[in-house]
Amino acid sequence: MLRALSPGLRRRTVVLAAAVLAGVLLIVVLATGWAGSGNDGVTTVDGNASAVVYAAGHRPLAPGFTATTLTGSKLSFSSYRGKVVVLNFWGSWCVPCREEASTLAAVAAKYRPPGVSFLGVDVRDTTASALAFTHSFHVTYPSVSDQSSAITLDFTAKVPIAGTPTTLVVDRTGHIAGAVFGTVTYPDLTAILAKVG
Amino acid sequence: MTDVRAPETDPFDPAAERDDQPRPGSSSPGGTFGLADWLKWAWRQLTSMRIALILLFLLALASVPGSMLPQQGSNPASVQQYYVSHPALAPWLDRLGLFNVFAAPWFAAIYLLLFASLVGCVVPRTFRLAGSARTLPPRAPRHLARLPRSAEYTIALPPGDAVEVAARVLSGRGFRLRRPDDADLAQDWVSAEKGYLREAGNLLFHLALLGVLVSVALGGLFGYKADRLLVQGQSFADTVSALDEFHPGRFVTAADLGPFTMTLNRFDASYISSGQQRGQPSAFDARVTYTEQPGGPARTFDLDVNRPLSVDGAKVYLIGHGYAPEFTVTDARGHVVYNQPTPFVAGTSGNFLSEGVVKVPDAQPEQLGFTGVFVPTAVNVGGTLESVFPAADNPVVSLIAYAGNLGMDSGAPQSVYQLDTSAMHRLTTSPQVLQRGQSLKLPGGRGTITFTGYVPWVSLAITHDPGQLPALICGIAALGGLLLSFMIRRRRVFVRARVGPSTGSQRVDTTVQVGGLARTDASGGFEAEFAELAAELRSAHEQAAQHRHEGE
Repeated sequence: MLRALSPGLRRRTVVLAAAVLAGVLLIVVLATGWAGSGNDGVTTVDGNASAVVYAAGHRPLAPGFTATTLTGSKLSFSSYRGKVVVLNFWGSWCVPCREEASTLAAVAAKYRPPGVSFLGVDVRDTTASALAFTHSFHVTYPSVSDQSSAITLDFTAKVPIAGTPTTLVVDRTGHIAGAVFGTVTYPDLTAILAKVG
Repeated sequence: MTDVRAPETDPFDPAAERDDQPRPGSSSPGGTFGLADWLKWAWRQLTSMRIALILLFLLALASVPGSMLPQQGSNPASVQQYYVSHPALAPWLDRLGLFNVFAAPWFAAIYLLLFASLVGCVVPRTFRLAGSARTLPPRAPRHLARLPRSAEYTIALPPGDAVEVAARVLSGRGFRLRRPDDADLAQDWVSAEKGYLREAGNLLFHLALLGVLVSVALGGLFGYKADRLLVQGQSFADTVSALDEFHPGRFVTAADLGPFTMTLNRFDASYISSGQQRGQPSAFDARVTYTEQPGGPARTFDLDVNRPLSVDGAKVYLIGHGYAPEFTVTDARGHVVYNQPTPFVAGTSGNFLSEGVVKVPDAQPEQLGFTGVFVPTAVNVGGTLESVFPAADNPVVSLIAYAGNLGMDSGAPQSVYQLDTSAMHRLTTSPQVLQRGQSLKLPGGRGTITFTGYVPWVSLAITHDPGQLPALICGIAALGGLLLSFMIRRRRVFVRARVGPSTGSQRVDTTVQVGGLARTDASGGFEAEFAELAAELRSAHEQAAQHRHEGE
């Protein structure tokens, strides 16, 4: 039964096995390089891959939500329709959120006159800690509580939110026009706003 | 890789293959061993069974530190703990990747080499087995009496007829036949072989083995593993930012997570309260409410150890639990700056004596931090608190307060179970013990901390492995193939007929020789089968001779 194959057939099976293996390795290599590949309609800001602008026609529609603010009032996201909104996902426990807090406050103050609204989404936090945070960093714009990450989940279906902080810029028609994944910097956020506003 | 057959030599197959021997013919005529020869030699070595076994053993060995040492992926808090208790050793272990064994390059190297070895071995073998399952029996050897089993008798039939009768009998018994072809001149013989299903079983085993490999790869590329600690009364959604740990496969993105949400309504742990087993858990019950899709209907489920919840293609397992004491902290201005249950983690000392930290980064004028111990059933043993029972019958906390810079306003993300006190100063000289409802006034009018109660927490493992079902099916198929190839044996029977010896009478005398051999006759039984078959052949021949005689 261990019938010796003809040399030709033997070589063929070795070649075939090598081809299968090469295929497996190719998949592994492709998979390793996968993370860097981009989508259509996405341009980076100043070469920073974590800050992006979505071209018109490639902007996902932001999901609607109604939630309770840290001060206890109801807030509906649809009431922002017609305005550019900067939506910041944050938590008082999150170190990079604390790092970017003063930047956000400065950009919010500068862009309030042209009519840009800021809204915080406070993720996995408690009202007491979140309010203490807004006092510490003199945050003047409202935040809604997203203790269960349900709002984050809705947005993750549209843009790949991989953690906190994430900052989204929603245009006047309610579409997500830009995003900063990770800590916001002043030049990145103002560059996105300049392209969207 | 594993050949389910014992090594054997085939009297009809002198060129049995030895894959792991350098072949004299493979080097170039001049005797120099070129690069191509080295590569060929290396490939043969890699795909040999010996190397595959060594790699398999190495893989098992390499997994040992993964279970002996705390792992970054599954238990980062324990890794931190290890750093504290072994400050000199820990950095070296980290450099060797021993805190993250299954992601270490050397582990991947072993795995990939093993994968290559298996694929390189199994694929050619599959072809060989497929070929072997199609082959005809060999030609009948000349001297059948030399075979392990043989019989001989004379019969009054022409040799051609005798072989014809034998062929009919053997074919009726399900043998595959081979008759002389043109090259065999005018010989009268038939070769018969049975038990090809053995090769089919062997083939199934090897193909299923490849299937298992592919399934495992599928799970690694398209599956994910995640952890989440959930305090009673809290909810979470299955999205990356709501998970404590997330280990995606290569092709998994944040958008691939099943969009379910889950709330822990209640967690109960019962413990045996008397006897030898006192303090051992007797039952767990985690009642959760979940929705599969945002806005979908809410369902309830009772999670238990080994009773996971299947939701959205993922499985949610209950893997641990603990206590989260609730604290309220007011700062110097009298503002409530912290008010929440804080998960504490049980140490090794037993009875759920748990440790944790409270960080209050927005207290004014200075940030506050506390390291604490939660004792579910506290007794004072010579000045130190000990827990004598895992249920919270007499819960107390013991706190040390710090003020200063928590290091949370810049730099690297922190563990919620570690307090970096390098830029802080101690506010209390000794640990302060609080009963439920009691407060600790911080010196210098910095505020108060109140231990208001406690709630349980559970830790959940969320896994998605698309390779699980294919791996199971392939595993069963591999077992079936293995059984088939063990239980069925290949056996060959040859029948030769030739004229003579002459008895001087008018009758035509033919000598019929029957020979048989079984390969890998581990279970025995061929002897009886052959005897039965030889008897059947003989009686069929005698019957045919009778008919012929009557016809004349």
